[in-house]
Amino acid sequence: METNDQKLKELLQKWEAPSAPSSLAQRVFPRQRWWQWLWTGSIRVPVPVGLAVLVAAGGLWLLNRPVVSAPQKPVSLADFRPVEQLEPRIIRSTNYEH
Amino acid sequence: MNDSELRQAFEQHKNAVYRFAWRMTGSSEAAEDIAQEVFLSLVRRPDSYDPSRGSLRAFLLGAARNQARKRFREEQRWDVLEDDDIAFVPSAYVDVAAAVGAAVQALPPLQREALILAEYEDLSLEEIAGAVEAEIGTVKARLHRARENLRRALEPFYRPNPRTVVHGN
Repeated sequence: METNDQKLKELLQKWEAPSAPSSLAQRVFPRQRWWQWLWTGSIRVPVPVGLAVLVAAGGLWLLNRPVVSAPQKPVSLADFRPVEQLEPRIIRSTNYEH
Repeated sequence: MNDSELRQAFEQHKNAVYRFAWRMTGSSEAAEDIAQEVFLSLVRRPDSYDPSRGSLRAFLLGAARNQARKRFREEQRWDVLEDDDIAFVPSAYVDVAAAVGAAVQALPPLQREALILAEYEDLSLEEIAGAVEAEIGTVKARLHRARENLRRALEPFYRPNPRTVVHGN
């Protein structure tokens, strides 16, 4: 049996497998040009750093946002006229006609 | 594992992973796809490898085995039966290497993977058990059956001049 095992090992070693092709490296670690990276690249940012950046950006925006206020006109009472004739009207109920 | 360590691991183990996949599938394209998947998963999740659970080589070969198994299942070529005898006609081959290759690939997948890991990749029984997710005793039994099958299939090549073997009808 031991001879058979040895013979089997010898036979098995006759079947050789090829080495990995060079294209495998390219498939696992593809080379990217810098401008391709602009489209497909990604940046890993730790959550606390990302949150801190967001909070800081929000704070800066709040501090620097333009304050929108109504345009101010100088107040003048020049066009005011006193009421010349008062015509009071007494309304007795809500059912009235116009 | 940083980028340089990943590249080093790739250079160190790419041939073992590719060879295993090639012997399992018998196809260069499938072997390259499997090896690519194995290393890409390591690149995406380097923490998936835990050094305390064994060597990186055994881990990668286990991952390659899972990829091959997934492929076989998709192609419905994964036969879970372990006791199958193989149907193999050695006299169809004059070239010993081709005959050995065909005989190994005729083994049921569970026997085949155990035999390839043991005979070609020199993994220990413990490492094979880890890679194929089975008990050591089960691995031993699969290896025993695989060797029995191969001895039977390659019996004509045990003779001094296998070229004289003629397959009888």
